[in-house]
Amino acid sequence: MVVNVASRCGLTPQYEGLERLQARFGAAGFTVLGVPCNQFAGQEPGTPEEIQQFCSATYGTSFPLTEKLEVNGRKRHPLYQRLTAVPDTDGRAGEVEWNFEKFLISPAGEIVARWRPLVEPEDARVIGAIERVLA
Amino acid sequence: MTVAPATVKATEVRLGDRVRARSGVELTVTRIDEEFMGRADMVAFVEDSAEQWFKMPAPRDSDVELVRRDGAVH
Repeated sequence: MVVNVASRCGLTPQYEGLERLQARFGAAGFTVLGVPCNQFAGQEPGTPEEIQQFCSATYGTSFPLTEKLEVNGRKRHPLYQRLTAVPDTDGRAGEVEWNFEKFLISPAGEIVARWRPLVEPEDARVIGAIERVLA
Repeated sequence: MTVAPATVKATEVRLGDRVRARSGVELTVTRIDEEFMGRADMVAFVEDSAEQWFKMPAPRDSDVELVRRDGAVH
């Protein structure tokens, strides 16, 4: 599951739920991939080392983080060019709305679900979708 | 050239204004979203340009730091 993350956001405590997903499903081949991004109010200003240190020290995260990427705009990373073409549960594709937007990718590489930032990592819809792709 | 105050209400920000987020990042507003994550009491200012893509939400009744308007620097 690919999630754009930020260290100074009101949603930053979602790291806890993301780490619990990692612990619960990691042995089955699931992983969270955090994508630090500073495009939302500048809430991820640190260096990669600072971000990693913050995540592991504050939330005990064990899942990997990418380098800091751009998820929207003309310099959007190719990964997000593919991800943002996928609609969310309301049928809306396009820009990432804010920090902690979630994209679930199947083992075959298909983008199977997109949830906006206010959907918690352990929402029943997220859990159910993860269980289905791992089945 | 228009002389503007150093801060304006969020509802008074115009396209083309250069504003500063609390983080210190500045953006030139190219789009104003009339709500933010379903909240009608907030707006979001977006710069979508060759320079950067950056989003800054603000409560409608908040003050926004204005860096430049119509060429006037504050």
